[in-house]
Amino acid sequence: MVPALDLAALLSLSFFVPLVFLLVSFPPFLRLLVRKGRVSIDVHKGPAFKVPEPAGPLLFAGVLVGEIVVFLATGSLVPVAVTLGAGVAFAIGLVDDLYVLGGRTKPLLLILAGLAFAGVILLKPDLYTPVLFFPLIESTSPHFIVYTVLAIIAFPVVSNAFNMMDSFNGEISWFTLLTSLALFVGVALRSIFTGFSVIRIETILPLVAASVVFLVYNRYPSKAFDGDSGALMFGAMFAGLAVIGGVEIAAIIAIVPAILNSFYTLSSVRGFVERRRIKSRPTYVGEDGKLYASTEPSAPNTLIRLILLAGPLGEKDLVDNIVVLTAFSCLLSVAVSVLTWVY
Amino acid sequence: MKLAPLILIEFAAFLLIIGETYAFFEFVILFGGIPHSFSTFTIATVARVTLTAGLGVLWFVVMIGLTRLYVRSKLRSLTPKPSS
Repeated sequence: MVPALDLAALLSLSFFVPLVFLLVSFPPFLRLLVRKGRVSIDVHKGPAFKVPEPAGPLLFAGVLVGEIVVFLATGSLVPVAVTLGAGVAFAIGLVDDLYVLGGRTKPLLLILAGLAFAGVILLKPDLYTPVLFFPLIESTSPHFIVYTVLAIIAFPVVSNAFNMMDSFNGEISWFTLLTSLALFVGVALRSIFTGFSVIRIETILPLVAASVVFLVYNRYPSKAFDGDSGALMFGAMFAGLAVIGGVEIAAIIAIVPAILNSFYTLSSVRGFVERRRIKSRPTYVGEDGKLYASTEPSAPNTLIRLILLAGPLGEKDLVDNIVVLTAFSCLLSVAVSVLTWVY
Repeated sequence: MKLAPLILIEFAAFLLIIGETYAFFEFVILFGGIPHSFSTFTIATVARVTLTAGLGVLWFVVMIGLTRLYVRSKLRSLTPKPSS
């Protein structure tokens, strides 16, 4: 424990230590992936475009370094709980990157991430408050069992939702950055206006730092893909941070594009099916290199298909559209946080 | 402007999430109060499960309805019209 550190120093450390660690480690890690032959074809550009994958292990190392800083500085179990949940999701994602898990196996295994996270409440009873806070109206009554069950289920749901937002250059990195910033604003407002524990803000910053650095390498044209290990870890960490921050409603609103995307895909293909097994594609690449929405009636209704129905787009423009939709949901999320904590 | 219909769908999802989550935590879970016998416990449980499923169905119907409306209108505009 380092009790002498003031709040500004702690916030800076929990952001800049993982940021610098990742900025320094990314180039050699990508070279290592290439040397080991861990590269994937960028399917929207052609077989000649090979991108190192998975960057998930390094991204997890980055958030781990940040959470260790928070733990050492505060001695709190909050970063431990978040890291446990994210770590289990990362491990499941890494197995999927290396061996490919089934469409149903992955969500089932991800419940373990929720259990690992919720298990910490046995050591720290105030890890989360089983109450939901709504804008303008009063909070709900406490419901420990229902809340805990929903918190555990949130891990597979949110992790898979993040994973489904990982199809195009820069999509997952923009999505994670914007949603984690919305989460940060929500918890910061709660801390400022209600005196809520600032440790919860510090715990969010390693995720923000990791998504900033990853955006540098993942934006169009991508120099790194996170793999399922990265996307599932981002999702599990987001779920854990929303619960420990007590900003569940704002967090759900921030990820509405991912919720809609998952909902459309699951309702179109009728269940959890590994994406590599979906026969009818929602989109296709035209001869002009642009992405088109499939006009086949059996094509799954993904968010991407809905955007492309308005007209074909290049990959970069398509991701810009997703960023606009995500920015809108994050603005709604911030509005929810302001109405909940300020008024 | 091309994204306006999708932003509207997003806004509808936002309203449904807030409304339904509040309804679930404030009304559905507490529905029937504290049961005093096995029969009232069973009735309250069945009612809570039914109401929860009802909230899920409401979300499903509204979202699917809005999306189908959007997809149909877009596919109609993509289909070439026969020249007269």
